[in-house]
Amino acid sequence: MKFIRQVLLAVSIAGMVAGVLRRRSKGVVAPQQGGWREVTPQR
Amino acid sequence: MTGSADIGVVGHGITGSRAALTLQTLGHSVRVASLRSATELFDCHTVILAHGAPQSALASTFVAQGISVVSTSDNLEDVLSLIDAQERAESRRAVVVAGVACSPGMSGLLVNHLRRAFESIDEVHTAVHGTAGPMCARQHHESLAGLSVGWHDGEWLQRPAGSGRELCWFPDPVGARDCYRFASPEPVLLQRIEPALERITSRISATRRDRLTARLPMLRPPHAEGLEGALRVEVRGVRNGRRHVEIVGIADRVGTIAGVVAAHTALAVARGGIVPGVHNLGQPSLPNADILDGAVDSGVTLHQFVGLEQ
Repeated sequence: MKFIRQVLLAVSIAGMVAGVLRRRSKGVVAPQQGGWREVTPQR
Repeated sequence: MTGSADIGVVGHGITGSRAALTLQTLGHSVRVASLRSATELFDCHTVILAHGAPQSALASTFVAQGISVVSTSDNLEDVLSLIDAQERAESRRAVVVAGVACSPGMSGLLVNHLRRAFESIDEVHTAVHGTAGPMCARQHHESLAGLSVGWHDGEWLQRPAGSGRELCWFPDPVGARDCYRFASPEPVLLQRIEPALERITSRISATRRDRLTARLPMLRPPHAEGLEGALRVEVRGVRNGRRHVEIVGIADRVGTIAGVVAAHTALAVARGGIVPGVHNLGQPSLPNADILDGAVDSGVTLHQFVGLEQ
């Protein structure tokens, strides 16, 4: 029983840390979807 | 240009052949010599070194004759040796352009092109897929076994080549490829273009077998030419006071890209007007827009990634 509680505690802490990291990492915005289109260089 | 045989090419490989073909298509007479008979080109104004690395020793020989050099080497040590020849090139009034291939080379032209869309840029990340001829394939093989260099917050970082997997999207038909750090002079040359950059990385596509066998001799002879190739340049910076990302790519044979870029760079050097010394594509001392326009006119197609910000 003690082991199960420790596992649940560890999983909960890991989830909270992951949630914080995911929220903080939203600062950098990079294209995640889209496609390529042909372009001609313009001076 | 003053004569019909002002440009010579050392090397009969894929890149050298494509460079010579590009120049001939534009109506210029080109002399092509093998590495052993490179001294036959001592009467040229400009030579394109398109043989396998190392090229720095032969470049020094040409520079000592006052002949300008366009080097296609993408070997890290070789390019560093070329950069060190600044004083010799200045004293002999010769122009040396280092790293004139696909990556580095075309990548520098694209960074120079993209920076105009920003108020300031602080990150450049490049990735390349594919190889040109057999020597290029050997270089690709060896570059996954050494140390990669990267520019990170004003410091040079060394990381094992073959590490740092990142899924990079290239223009069709190449698509998504796993790319890894590799021993490339690209970050060094890009940092010379824009010293204010804070982060520079370069990666190359590789398979598990490539990475597993990188420290061994090549298990089988390389192909005569890699089939599909691609280049991707991602620039990050500030535009209109906000963070902005621009991504440009090319999908073509690496040998074709390298040959076309080398040919148009040699033409720019032969036309004159470039200050003697060692340069690399993308630096303001070179007519980058003319070279890029020439490459596009010769059939290289640029693609821009149009993404949705999430």
